[in-house]
Amino acid sequence: MDIKPIFLGLKQNKFMAMLMIIQIAFTMGVLSSSVLVATTTLQEWNKLSGIPHEDIVRISPEFFDDSQDVGQAMFNDLKRVKEIPSVINAAPSNAVPFTAENMIDVYLATEEDAQGFKTVVFESDEQIIDVLQLSLVDGRLITASDVVKGDIESTPQSAAEVMISQDMAQVLFGDDSAIGKTIWLAKNADPVKVIGVYSNFMTGERLNGRGKSYQSIIRPQVKWSQTQQPHYLMRVEQGTAVALLEDIIDVFYLERGRYINSSELLKRTQKRMYDGRGSRALTFLVLSVVLLIITGLGITGLTAFQVTQKRKQIGTRRALGAKKSDIMRYFLTENSILTLIGLVIGVAVTLSITFELSEQAGQNFFNLSVLLMTALLLWVVNILAVWFPAKRAANIAPAIVTRSA
Amino acid sequence: MLRMENVSKIYRTDLVETHALRKVDLHIKSGEFVSVTGPSGSGKTTFLNLAGALETFEEGDYFLDGHNVKGLSDDKLSEIRNQKIGFIFQSFNLLPDLPLFDNVDVPLRYRGMSAKERKERIEHALETVGLASRMQHLPTQLSGGQQQRVAIARAIAGDPLFLLADEPTGNLDSLMAQQVMELLEDINSKGTTIIMVTHDDQLARRAHRNIQIFDGQVSDIEKSVADDVIRSA
Amino acid sequence: MFSYNFQLALKSLKERPALTLLTILAIATGLGLYTTVKTMSYQSSQVPLAHKSKNIFLLQMDNREITADAVEHQARMVDTTYKDTLNLMQLEMPGVKQSFNWSTYGILNVEDENINPLQTTAAVVNSSFFTMFETPFLYGNGWDKTTEESGEAVIIISKLMNDKLFGGRNSVGESVRINTHVLKIIGVLDTWYLSSKFYNRSFWPGYPDNFFIPYTFAMDNNLPRSAGFDCWAANADISRSFRTENKDRLINSECAWVTFWAEVPEAKVADYRQQIMSYMESEQTLGRFPRELAMYLTNLNDQYNYVNGRNQFLNTFSVLATLFFAVCLLNAVGILLAKFMRRKKEVSLRRALGAKKKTIIMQHLLEVVIIGLLGGLLGIVISYFGLQGMMSIRLYSSDYTVRIEDIQPLFQLNWVMIANAFVTGIICTIVASIYPIWRLCNIPPASQLKSQ
Repeated sequence: MDIKPIFLGLKQNKFMAMLMIIQIAFTMGVLSSSVLVATTTLQEWNKLSGIPHEDIVRISPEFFDDSQDVGQAMFNDLKRVKEIPSVINAAPSNAVPFTAENMIDVYLATEEDAQGFKTVVFESDEQIIDVLQLSLVDGRLITASDVVKGDIESTPQSAAEVMISQDMAQVLFGDDSAIGKTIWLAKNADPVKVIGVYSNFMTGERLNGRGKSYQSIIRPQVKWSQTQQPHYLMRVEQGTAVALLEDIIDVFYLERGRYINSSELLKRTQKRMYDGRGSRALTFLVLSVVLLIITGLGITGLTAFQVTQKRKQIGTRRALGAKKSDIMRYFLTENSILTLIGLVIGVAVTLSITFELSEQAGQNFFNLSVLLMTALLLWVVNILAVWFPAKRAANIAPAIVTRSA
Repeated sequence: MLRMENVSKIYRTDLVETHALRKVDLHIKSGEFVSVTGPSGSGKTTFLNLAGALETFEEGDYFLDGHNVKGLSDDKLSEIRNQKIGFIFQSFNLLPDLPLFDNVDVPLRYRGMSAKERKERIEHALETVGLASRMQHLPTQLSGGQQQRVAIARAIAGDPLFLLADEPTGNLDSLMAQQVMELLEDINSKGTTIIMVTHDDQLARRAHRNIQIFDGQVSDIEKSVADDVIRSA
Repeated sequence: MFSYNFQLALKSLKERPALTLLTILAIATGLGLYTTVKTMSYQSSQVPLAHKSKNIFLLQMDNREITADAVEHQARMVDTTYKDTLNLMQLEMPGVKQSFNWSTYGILNVEDENINPLQTTAAVVNSSFFTMFETPFLYGNGWDKTTEESGEAVIIISKLMNDKLFGGRNSVGESVRINTHVLKIIGVLDTWYLSSKFYNRSFWPGYPDNFFIPYTFAMDNNLPRSAGFDCWAANADISRSFRTENKDRLINSECAWVTFWAEVPEAKVADYRQQIMSYMESEQTLGRFPRELAMYLTNLNDQYNYVNGRNQFLNTFSVLATLFFAVCLLNAVGILLAKFMRRKKEVSLRRALGAKKKTIIMQHLLEVVIIGLLGGLLGIVISYFGLQGMMSIRLYSSDYTVRIEDIQPLFQLNWVMIANAFVTGIICTIVASIYPIWRLCNIPPASQLKSQ
């Protein structure tokens, strides 16, 4: 198929050509930026949490009555909640997966210029391993006797042994075994010893955004004060969490003088991590699909118009020996040329949009293969849009040339 | 070279059946210049469409160069039109977007010839019709007579079995019509078969042989002339 | 002539129903999205207290250190210190109301052990707050100056809280506890809708406060102050602690944190300004206000304008919707062209039979206006669903912490927007049809009639 006649034809019909190119360019810009943002967001969404988050409930109580004994309340809470038949296990923890925001630096040395490694410390008791269903990768698990428990005021000592996650171990020690190594949880803190390595689980958005989703440390200590109390994490039998939530909240309200700040399935905690960007990406994605349909219909309309305009010419070509497939190919090629130009402009639009978005969000949205896939999709939609009017063009009877009108 | 046997064409609508052509028998030999005449509505156009393989028919056989055209696929018919027939239309039917060169190029393109051969043929054809110097002009820049000469160039560039001309001078004034007729006669004298459909008796008489269509039926004048000649001899 | 043209227009609309429908759909979709966004930004820019919003001023005095940066914008300027707040409240000016507030939070609970406590946002205000901002009362009333000065433990709760804690009954006279403090309910607010919470300058949508307590009680009992403290170097390091501690130090500091409002009639604005300036001058003699004296009175309208200009999601969305609409219109141009050019022959015949260009234009313009009307109508329907969709997304993305009642007005179509959509729909359709009609009416008479 020679494209020269197509170009000559387009030259005679600049307005139409421009109309198509602008439409395709803009559709490409909106579509691919939306898809880029959406895929980047969803990619994170699809990351493994490392825990059975649909079967874990978190409760965050808070005392407002100074006269209550927090330590006793915690003892009661854990005892009561474990008595609920479907609750398998419970642990207090100062941080909750997916929302752990207290990012700290951990060090391998105490020098002034020692390098810090980002992490989140989960302070909890020995049950957390079972609650989160973590598995032991190296060394040993923490036991009840490792756990330092008490009121902040009366318990100045801290746990000197910790477990770290697999990713944490990799970052800190590479392929060496982490067991027995010493780390510092702050520059001027006492050193702690690594006794075990556990399987990865997701910490929270701040580390997630830095590609360090799984760096964490578990420290066997549970401390509290009147204003600072741990959350509770509870693992329940599979599929029972939603139905159990009310019962669990009621159990916690048995202690007076406090209220439940937060009570939810970890599944929802995870969802919240992506809310803003996720729903925005989704909105734009839906808009893009609508735009794609509209552009498709528009291209169909324009091509149908061209076909009507060129009936006699098409008939002449048919009389001169063009096969139906030649006519189809003529329109498909013409459209592909316009699509190609539109796509090139569209890619430029996309690049500037994603650059702007990346600047705003501090996250790289650009992904060449996604961009190419979107371009391909748009091209396919265009082919489909042209297909039907082109088919009609191909069905124009060659005998039209002998009709004198 | 061209033989129709018992060819009929019926147009059907819900209510009416129109016999556009009835049992046409016809034989045209290589090198002839045949005119086809008849009043409006006689079936001239239908004959043209069938002879040009622009339309299919249900009854009878149509042999071109010894091959039966009947029942061929649409693609095969395209091929036949492309390789065996050169069309010349009343309204020229040049493609307005394309310069002359590219207009003449159209049927050659569909034949898949090499660029070199196409170029030679186009130039030769345009020389034949005397428009070689205006190859890059658009059809709208030419007079009607010139446009028809381009159409003729396009028809002969592919060396077809025969030329099928549909009122080739219908849209031209008499001077230009004269020129176009002379050109056709010239082409015919070099051996190309021409079938010309026209309603103009004067023009028809310039052909070697005249076929009349009346109410869908064909009567062959040449044959009777020939018979006369034989009888008188 | 008009009725003839109208008949022709109708006939032509019916002629190619698929193309007509396609044009209407393209315009409606673009317009629907456009109206959705326009409605969202229109509603979120609705200034509360519209009848007096230009007379309600935020007061800001530049009490900052001599070394502080130059003022970039009023919105970045500091709030008011606690001691200035108290001093300014002493100013007597007939016709001028002054009010101030800050935010706190606490756990509301009642004696009844069957009702679980609730943590909720709250406002610390003075007595004139309720009159200046015209809060609607369901039961009871605000407190007066005497009650305020006595430091009495009184509270006004929202309808939402009243429903939750008291089952909706008239709870005036009963008690609630904030944490462990017992306060007497003297008023219950009715639903108080604000497009956003402007009075503490957060401009958050859909979070009306759930209780209001006198500033004297809040200070006496050291309830938490959730405010940003703009402090001088002397207090910068402990400014965060002012939220819960170091109350006395805060009271005497140059830390600005109280949002101060004044309602000033048009005629008195200059006077009021003068009075504030002379207050600042007198304080300057005591060694305060080290910089060149500067104060800002910004009315509600100006503040809303500024805040709305900075809504990034709406801005991006707005640009997108406009471009989207543009593509839909380009589409309509194409389809209309296709539709009209089929009529070449007919038009050239009509022209030959004596129709003027003007008549041809009128005939097709009528057709286009009908398309625009239908597109506008369908567009409004689409925007209704668009707004419902956007509202669901808002609920989803705020994790259902917002109630539908609180944000519904932000996604509500009104007659202004509907009229707007109609007019926009028709005008844009006409603009889209200019080229196709121009092409059509320039067909030479009878040019298409010759057999080719």
